[in-house]
Parts: sequence; structure tokens; C-alpha cells
Amino acid sequence: MTVPVNLRHDETFVLNLGPQHPATHGVLRVKLTMDGEYIVKAEPVLGYVHRMHEKMAEAGTFAQFMPNTARMDYLHALAFNHGWALVVEKAAGIEVPERAEYIRVITVELNRIASHLLWWAAFLLDLGGFTPLLYAFDDREKIIDLLERVTGSRLTYCYMRFGGVCNDIDDEFISGTRAFIKRLRSRMPRLYHDLVTHNIILIKRIKDIGIVSKEQCRRYGATGPVCRGSGINYDIRKNEPYSVYPEFDFDVPVFDECDSMARYMVRMHEMEQSLRIIEQALDKLPDGPVMGKAPKMLKPEAGYYYSAVETARGSFGHRLVCDGGKNPYKVKLRSPTFSNLSLFGEVAEGMLLADALAFMGSLDLVIPEIDR
Amino acid sequence: MDILEETRVRLAELFSETSTVETPVADETGQEEVAPRKPGVMVLDSARTGAHLDVLCSPDQVVDVAQIMDGNGFFLEAISGVDWIDKQQLEVIYDYTRQDEQNCRVMTRTFISRTEPALPTLTGVFPAADWHERETFDFYGVHFQNHPNLIRILLPEDADFHPLLKDFMP
Amino acid sequence: MGTENVPSSIVQFAQLDKLLNLGRANSLWPMTFGLACCAIEMMCTGGSRYDISRFGAEVFRPSPRQSDVMIVAGTINKKLELAVKTLYDQMPEPKWVIAMGNCAISGGPFKVKENYNVVEGADKLFPVDVYIPGCPPRPEALLEGIMTLEEKITGKRRWPRVHAG
Repeated sequence: MTVPVNLRHDETFVLNLGPQHPATHGVLRVKLTMDGEYIVKAEPVLGYVHRMHEKMAEAGTFAQFMPNTARMDYLHALAFNHGWALVVEKAAGIEVPERAEYIRVITVELNRIASHLLWWAAFLLDLGGFTPLLYAFDDREKIIDLLERVTGSRLTYCYMRFGGVCNDIDDEFISGTRAFIKRLRSRMPRLYHDLVTHNIILIKRIKDIGIVSKEQCRRYGATGPVCRGSGINYDIRKNEPYSVYPEFDFDVPVFDECDSMARYMVRMHEMEQSLRIIEQALDKLPDGPVMGKAPKMLKPEAGYYYSAVETARGSFGHRLVCDGGKNPYKVKLRSPTFSNLSLFGEVAEGMLLADALAFMGSLDLVIPEIDR
Repeated sequence: MDILEETRVRLAELFSETSTVETPVADETGQEEVAPRKPGVMVLDSARTGAHLDVLCSPDQVVDVAQIMDGNGFFLEAISGVDWIDKQQLEVIYDYTRQDEQNCRVMTRTFISRTEPALPTLTGVFPAADWHERETFDFYGVHFQNHPNLIRILLPEDADFHPLLKDFMP
Repeated sequence: MGTENVPSSIVQFAQLDKLLNLGRANSLWPMTFGLACCAIEMMCTGGSRYDISRFGAEVFRPSPRQSDVMIVAGTINKKLELAVKTLYDQMPEPKWVIAMGNCAISGGPFKVKENYNVVEGADKLFPVDVYIPGCPPRPEALLEGIMTLEEKITGKRRWPRVHAG
């Protein structure tokens, strides 16, 4: 809980958190100015895994950038694939067969669940609980097996192509996915909610911690579960529908408490909503090709294009500038956690250090996506 | 009045009547036509370009635009630099959008000199601009005047280059 | 790397050394040090399915001073370079390094003409014992890497090698 204390700015010391620290999920560094256990000033230092994605985008062709997208947010790689495919298809005017869009949605949503499961495991690990990690990884491995079957890789997928996807799904994938939906639904109430969500230790640890107001979300451009945990009903899948999302009936979980618990609940409910989307997509899955007609060498018309997708962490956008050549002239990657993390400094002020780490965990950081 | 029309009118007030161009959609998105375009507000085909409004303004108007966007409930999504090396110009694109059900994306663009790139900072309007401006400084060397903390964000502190300039080669 | 950097004493205990190495090989404590994508596969290896503890290497230590092996799981860039070097220096001897994934081997997908920020391989900074290719390597590959390291320490392979096909 944020205790209102009179912070003594003259009696502070600097504490360096990271870049190698288990609670920062990678290589984030935070320069903390502390007054005892209270944070006077928190200043995240980025760039410890900056990997030049924007420069590489300009150097290669449109298709050559696809593998890079998976290495930005490796936890929800397929959504990043999807975002890049969508913006290039928009620019080049490529039609995608309906079956391909359905398969995209199914795989992206499976990947979203995998991402939330990993967040859940890592978040609880930060808070000191090791056992949930074993449960979450157990379920996550099932998703990975399914995705590996169609994409060929376990983590850094490069599955989407301009105009479709590279592999069709088969009956075994469909039956496996249905079995997984059943399995996760049966495990969710007992293993996830009874063991953890309703656990008094967790509630004491994250309730009323890290209050992010609605206005803060807007001023800092926070999206995804962070803004939905603050009562803002903003999900690109609903607000700016893309792909075949309008054809499915699903809810956007929104919680008004603005604290870490609210963000936790948003993600837990999102998993159920993703299951609903997958179920409907499998039921309605149309027949047909999975690859549309797309030229081998893309040369989109010169111009400015923007496309956003909803990833597990929020709105991920591509600002694509084309000059009519075969390479993108400029690709700006608008990553959600970059904006989500930028409010950390303001919110963490006056917090206890241990609470600030619980708050940081609830932001769901993936550092390579922040640094790009 | 829907939010698109309302924003367009508010933004158009920034520009004198004569310079406000209202071109029909889609045929003015090309880069060739962009440079001779007069400053002003243009409605875009959002299905094709992903943005609803395209605002071309002079560098000293970016703060005014940001204030209008802030007043109308938009949030700053991203700041991108583009290096037009042939024209010896840098372009800075500000993307705004909304967090409610009224979907409206506004792209604000401004051109600055490539040799001494400078722009006023938006940090007074949107705190989100802090990191985005630092990133643009990092990649393109654009100096955001009166920025409270304009230091490197992604590259090491001692880096002496701006990697996303087109003529940069390590 | 390994034990050869430790100055040998005048009195030799050949059998004792062997015994110590056997102990070291079967209780390698890796450092919790995730850099990028490969770290997730490292976590999966620690998870219930691949269960790294079968090989005695499940005790992930957040502090370099308590760990034996550093698994470089991800991309090292110029900003991080110094930190990684410091971590390596802070580890007590004997110590080993596993370069997990293509980034740690050579810069991987980021070894391009325009590369301005990525260090092209962990072996540019310190000696590496085992290289595990993949982007990212599968958990099985990391387990094989740990067994290879065991082999390097003891001179013997404890588990039979499984051949593909």
C-alpha cells in the first residue's frame, strides 16, 4: 500500500536495480532514489537489449523483416507477426483468404493464452510463489506443442505470410485445441483461482498496490491490460476491428479498481475470452486456401500506413512509410510496454520497494519489446 | 458532430482559411505529392492508410496541435522520425488516437532541417512524449527544445552517432 | 575454461580432484540470467516437463557469487557488455559458460552489415565452454548442453548419447 510519508529528499541514497535482477524479467535497470524503504524517485534505464529492429527493417525487404517481429515480443510472437502482415497487406493491397484469417486468429489467441500463463507464472515467482510456475508451464507446454505442429517452432514463430499463413491446420491440431480448451477450463477454477487468486497472501500483496488512474493511462498512452485494469474499455480487437474479430462474440474484461489486482484479474479473464474466440473460430472455420495471391517482390505505393493489433500487452502499432521501393523506407514500431513502463516512475513515487516490484510485475514487461 | 469532424474543425482553425486543403481521399497519400502540399488538415481513407486525419503543420505548431488533441481526449501513441535524405529534410510524425469507442487516428507531420534538427517539446502537454522524444533524439538527433531530460534512452550514454539516419553506417 | 585456470597446488590429489569434479558436474548451479528470447526456453527447461533437476542443475541462483555456470541466454549488446563481463568476473572459480542460442554464439540474426549495437558472440568477452545453436534452442538442446558440460568437467559421459533418427 502506498503510505503517505513525508519523504526527506535530503537524506536519500541511490539503489541500482538491475540490469541483472530476477524481478525485472530480463535486463531492465531502474535507478531508485530511496528514503529508507520508500522510493523517492524511480528512473527506468532502457536499452540493455536494444537490437536495432528498425534499422534492420530498412535494410531488408518486407518479407525479410518477418522473423524480426517474432523476436521483439517473443511471448506473443504471433500477434507481432500478424501486425506486420496486416500493415504490409494494407499497403500493398493484398487480399487474405478467409480461412487464413481464421487460422491467424486461432493461433494468435492460443499464443495470447500462453503469454498470459507465462506472465502469471513469472509474476507469482516475483511475489515469492514457485509452485504456480509449474502448473502454468504444464499448460503452456500443451499450447506450444499445438503451435509447434503448425508453425514449426516453439517460441519465435514466423508463421504468417503476406496473403495468408504458411501451413494449413490439420484435424489433429483441431482436436488437440479442443482438448486443450477443455483441459484449461477444468484446471482454471481449482488450480488457478482457488490456489492463487483467492489466496489471502496474494490479495494482501497486490490489492491497492500501484494505483494507475484513468487520466494517467491517457497521458502516458498506456494500453492493454494496464488501461483495462483502470476502467478504460479499450481493446483494438473491439475498438478498431481488424482481421475476422468482428465475427466472434467475446467480452473485453474491464476492472475499475486501478490496482495490480485489477490488472491481474483482467489477464485471468482474458484467457477465458480467448478460449471463447478459439472455440467459435474452430466451429466456424471455413474451407478454402490458406494463401492468397501475393507478388513475390512487394513494392507498395509510396505513402504512410498505420496498423495496430492488440497483443497480450496492449496496442502494438506499425507506422510504415513507403517510398515505392522494395524495402520499407521507415518502420516505426510502437510497442505497448514502452508506453506502459513510462508511467512507472510517476506511480512508484512514495511506494515501498517491495510493492513497487509487485507493481512492476503487474505491468507484464517484456524487455526486448521495450528496447526493440 | 462526431469526433472526427469535431477534431478536424478544431485543427483547421490553426491554419489560415486559404491554406486548408480538403482533398478527396486516397489520391494524395503518395510521397511525391506530399512535399508540395500546403500545411493543413486532410481527411484520409482510413481503410487504406490506417489514419483518419493527416495534419501537416510547421514545426512551431506541434505544441498547439498537441494541446488541441489533449483537450479533445486523445493520447499520444508514438513519435517517429523519417529521414528524407534526398530532400535534406527530417520528418517527425506524431500519432494520436483515442481510448474510447470513437475510433479516430490523427497523424501529425512536420518537416525540419536535417542539418540542425530542432523541435519544441511536447512533454508539457503529454508526459508520454518524454520517452518518445528521447528515442527520436537517440535515433535521429532531433533536439527537442526545453525537454527536461534529453539524454540517450536506448543507445549507450557514450554513443556519438544517430543510427537511423540514412547515411549512417557503422 | 573450467578448472585449468585454478593454480594447481604443489601437493596433488588426483583422486580427490576427480571426486570433486564428479560432484561439480552433477550439481551445476546456473545463474538466473535471462537476456532475451532464449531465457524463456531456459525457464521451460526448468519447468515440470523438461525438468532440469534430473541433472542436478535446477538451483538457479540470482547472484553470480553463488553460481557455477553462466548460461548466456540471449543477445548481448554494447550497453550490456560491461554488466555481463562484471557478472562473469564475480563468479567464483571454477566457473563455466554456456552460450545458449545464436545471439550468444555469433550475434545470430543481428550479425548484419548495419549492426551498430550487438556484440557478436559471448566469446568476444570471455571464454565459452559449450555452444548451443538454435534460435532459440529447444529445451532438449539445453539439457544436451549441460550434459556436454558435465562430460567436459569429468571426462566421461554419464548419460548415453541419443542419436536422431
